[in-house]
Amino acid sequence: MAQQALLIALFPLVAFVIQALFGKKLPRHGDFVSVLAIFGSFAVATPIFMKLLTQGHVFDTFEVSWMTLPGIEASGRLNSSVNLVVGVLINNITAIMLFMVTLCASLIHLFSVGYMHGEERYHLFFAYISLFSAGMLGLVLSDNLLTFFMCWELMGLCSYLLIGFYYKKPSAINASIKAFMTTRVGDTMFFLGIAGLYYVYGTSNFMAIYKAVQVGVAHDITIAGFPALTLIGFLVMMGTVGKSAQFPLQVWLPDAMEGPTPVSALIHAATMVAAGVFLLIRMFPLLEASHVVLPVVAYVGAITAFLAACIAIVQVDIKKVLAYSTISQLGYMVMGVGVGAFAPGFMHLITHACFKACLFLCSGSVIHSVHTQDMREMGGLKSKMPITFATMFIATLAISGVPGFSGFVSKDRILGGALAYSMEHHGHYLIPLLGFATAGITAFYMFRMIYMTFFGHARDEHKHHHAHEQPLTMTIPLMILAGLSFAIVFAGPTGIESVDHVMPVKWFDQALEGAQQEMGIAEHLSPEAEAVHHQAHGLALMLSLAVAGLGILISSITYLKHLINAESIKKMVGPLYTLLWNKYYFDELYLGVLIQKGLLNFNRMLAMFDDKVVDRIFVDGWRDVTMVIKSFIGKFDDIVVDRVMVDGTADVTAGGGWIVRQFQTGKVQQYLVLTVMVIIVALFYANLGLK
Amino acid sequence: MNHLIQFSSSLQGYLAVGAILFALGIFCVMTRKNAIGILLGIELILNAAGINFVAFSKFRTGLIDGQIVALFIMLIAAAEAAVALAVILRFYRLKQTIDADEASIMRN
Repeated sequence: MAQQALLIALFPLVAFVIQALFGKKLPRHGDFVSVLAIFGSFAVATPIFMKLLTQGHVFDTFEVSWMTLPGIEASGRLNSSVNLVVGVLINNITAIMLFMVTLCASLIHLFSVGYMHGEERYHLFFAYISLFSAGMLGLVLSDNLLTFFMCWELMGLCSYLLIGFYYKKPSAINASIKAFMTTRVGDTMFFLGIAGLYYVYGTSNFMAIYKAVQVGVAHDITIAGFPALTLIGFLVMMGTVGKSAQFPLQVWLPDAMEGPTPVSALIHAATMVAAGVFLLIRMFPLLEASHVVLPVVAYVGAITAFLAACIAIVQVDIKKVLAYSTISQLGYMVMGVGVGAFAPGFMHLITHACFKACLFLCSGSVIHSVHTQDMREMGGLKSKMPITFATMFIATLAISGVPGFSGFVSKDRILGGALAYSMEHHGHYLIPLLGFATAGITAFYMFRMIYMTFFGHARDEHKHHHAHEQPLTMTIPLMILAGLSFAIVFAGPTGIESVDHVMPVKWFDQALEGAQQEMGIAEHLSPEAEAVHHQAHGLALMLSLAVAGLGILISSITYLKHLINAESIKKMVGPLYTLLWNKYYFDELYLGVLIQKGLLNFNRMLAMFDDKVVDRIFVDGWRDVTMVIKSFIGKFDDIVVDRVMVDGTADVTAGGGWIVRQFQTGKVQQYLVLTVMVIIVALFYANLGLK
Repeated sequence: MNHLIQFSSSLQGYLAVGAILFALGIFCVMTRKNAIGILLGIELILNAAGINFVAFSKFRTGLIDGQIVALFIMLIAAAEAAVALAVILRFYRLKQTIDADEASIMRN
């Protein structure tokens, strides 16, 4: 099964290669290649999911040894050399993720055929989303963090390419760079975390990590004075913070809406940003092993959820509203994982993917119809686009937490978990407080969006006049995704447990229980804790229903009945509005302070270092040294070699010649005198020798 | 006187004559400007050698070979004189002088 599952990631990869190489020449610019590939993946993923539904449990692995890195010694690891084994892990979580991702991706591919029709670089769009799908599915299939990280980066690349798809728009280019650079911060830390895992355990295989954590290996190891598991936990969390646009790296996701709307639906709502949460879920046992990490995760999630939801209130761009709601909902998931509500967190990931993909595709449908993203120019579209309105309304009910819809189930459980967490710890009250506040705000701004877009009178007659319902390729995905936004898909018909025990739907809970047992994090609550949880969940149900109802009510009064004038409230809370409109000045903070004051100055410092130290001292200095050596060697050459040796030899021979020449007078008699003298001297010394 | 006679008829006497003759010859060769004078000095040297050969032949070996060499020396002296006179004649034709110091055209 696991080997066949590889096909799920391979189909879109092959489609990418075909599209990138031949897409332009194929009929219809090859869109059918990508669509067929993702439907092929869906077809392979479905039996695995069906097996989960029928048997309640799937588990299979498939591994190949990639390479062995010997001789890195570290304490606490399981094996002495790092053996890089990569492969596929199929368990309940994988099966659900695979089904959700392939389903959403298939529907979004289908929607794109209509939405992107006639766009420039149509074939490349499909090449990119195919590559993205391959990355996302590869990430879900990975049984280790190494291939997980590769796919993670592949998705980052595709995200960058697709945000900047309208490459002639400077804002799109800037947004793509911003997204890429911001996520890089998180990715770098995540990679360090993986390195830390190899240092501590010598592996990044999920099952091996679960086992090691359960056995308690390496709980006392430290890296640079910090407890290793805590440090790794925080680094992994930073990966999530970057990818899932959590506080404080949330700034990139709203700008990412510069990409085509299907991309926003697929990458920046349903799958890629959820991969960050998926990472937390995969690594949950490790995060739990350190007592410091999870509370921080919970606070990060809660703060993100609240901050983003507040910004969403003031947005007028329909996609920006959805972008901030995505950040906010991702915050919920992160918060859920942080408070230990592991299963609800994962459930929210799945439910959110379905209804948020639906919302984005509906917004795409609206934008495609009225050619604007500004909600102030819409209004009254209900009758013009009935299918879009109906599906978007269902998805809005889901995200707002109305009973009977999927979002209610998961969100209610997360809030219950958060409340139980603070009740158990007699503290951390901020987490559920922010959670409930966010739930109310979410209902408010989502209904505000619906009212501004579909209700009331048409604010732009011309645009309203030209609005029309979309073709079936675009509306069918909407209908399927809206269908998945009902609570009955994941739990009972209403989502309220006390009501649903008449008609229970248990597959999700059973699947997650099985997964938790595999990961060694099965909950064994004491009777007291059980009581606290029961009490908390009861209270949370009431509270979440109340805040959601309140949010919808205020929204209806303000934007449907116009009993409250939104403009006057805006004036009343002027500074607050300005703060929200400017997104708490995070962009200014990062651009002005971090980048211009910090990084740019740092860069200038580096440039100065380069100029003054490297260029001046090293390069010029070396030149000076060589110049000195050169002149010294030149002098040596000039004086010693030329003057002394070469000229000297000449002088010696010339001098010798001169001396010898003095005897060569050409006068025979002088020669004779010399000869006689020599003979006399020779005889004298010969005589001396004889004696 | 008796000593002198005895000396003159002894080997040393002959050698003394030879030596004196040789010294005179050398002196003549070294000091004369005239090429013919130098040639005469050479003849003296040759004859000094001849006397020595004869003296050694009479007083030491008692054999005839030294005297034969003396005859050869005379012969060589005659030949040498003939060649040298021819050279001097050619030199005179060239330089209009027989000053030996002028014979330095090979120098430089």
